[in-house]
Amino acid sequence: MDYDAQLRLQAFLDGELPEAETSEVANWVARDREAAAQLEELRNTGKALAGLEAGIQLPESREFFWSKVRREIQRLEMLAPKSAPTSRFAQWRRFLVPASALALVFVAGILLIQPVGQIGRTPAGDIETALSDAGAFTYRDYTAGTTLVWLSYPADNEIAESDEMGTVE
Amino acid sequence: MAAFEELVARHRDKIYARAYSMMRNEEEAIDLSQEAWVKGWQRLRQFQGESSFGTWMTRIVINLCLDQLRKQKRQRTESIEAMDEESGGVERQMPVITVNPTAGLERGELRQRIDRALGQLSYEHRTVLVLHEFEEMEYKEIAKTMDCSIGTVMSRLFYARRKLAVLLADLKKQDSV
Repeated sequence: MDYDAQLRLQAFLDGELPEAETSEVANWVARDREAAAQLEELRNTGKALAGLEAGIQLPESREFFWSKVRREIQRLEMLAPKSAPTSRFAQWRRFLVPASALALVFVAGILLIQPVGQIGRTPAGDIETALSDAGAFTYRDYTAGTTLVWLSYPADNEIAESDEMGTVE
Repeated sequence: MAAFEELVARHRDKIYARAYSMMRNEEEAIDLSQEAWVKGWQRLRQFQGESSFGTWMTRIVINLCLDQLRKQKRQRTESIEAMDEESGGVERQMPVITVNPTAGLERGELRQRIDRALGQLSYEHRTVLVLHEFEEMEYKEIAKTMDCSIGTVMSRLFYARRKLAVLLADLKKQDSV
């Protein structure tokens, strides 16, 4: 019997042959004693192996084996969150660095702007306080000894009683 | 985790038995079945219930065993004997074993003989046999699992069966002397 015929016989035993070939091989086995003997040998090995695993038991107690599995699961779970915060922190740091730089610039800007606002508390600023309007602005010419104050609407109404546009020396 | 513990208790023998059938080594089988349970826990969300939980776990342990066996194979030098075994060797030409070599044996004795015979097969032949006989995989599925052609699966399976028959017959002869 050639090798291909042997493999065909095996495929017949394992139910892997196409339907058309199955009856053909069945007829061949029925009339060929060598083929029938070969098929029987293949079948016997299958029978010998049947149920072999059923008697195999894990040689460790339930508690001991489970404790090993549980420990390993817990160990791996402890490792996983440790690496996660590192990367999360790195992400936060990437965001925080430019954000803090921006905040620094903003605070510095506020601090620089504030003294200008405080001009209103200087003697010249007294005029603005008196007018109590943000729409007013002052021009001083020290060489000419002149100070001009512009008042815009609605502040114009507020100062109407005193002066429409005053020149203060 | 208590529910998972219960699953481990229920299926641990089956998973270990499959690992042992493939590895033929108690310690390795214990380690690999433990690793399979840890992997099972990690991938629990992937279990879709398409097969039974036991079958799903068995596939995990089979893949772990195959990885381990491939690693071991890479580490050892290929011998001429192994190459001969791959192509079919002399067993293919040997006369058919007409008498059932396991007939009349008690279960324990039979197990011992088969254990010894399986231990003499190369991992490729043993794995094909285990996947076909125990896992009831079709040729196509075995080929996919072992990353080889269907022709190779058929060839390996045939050789493994023949070799097993010869080994069992030899063992019977030795015992009767």
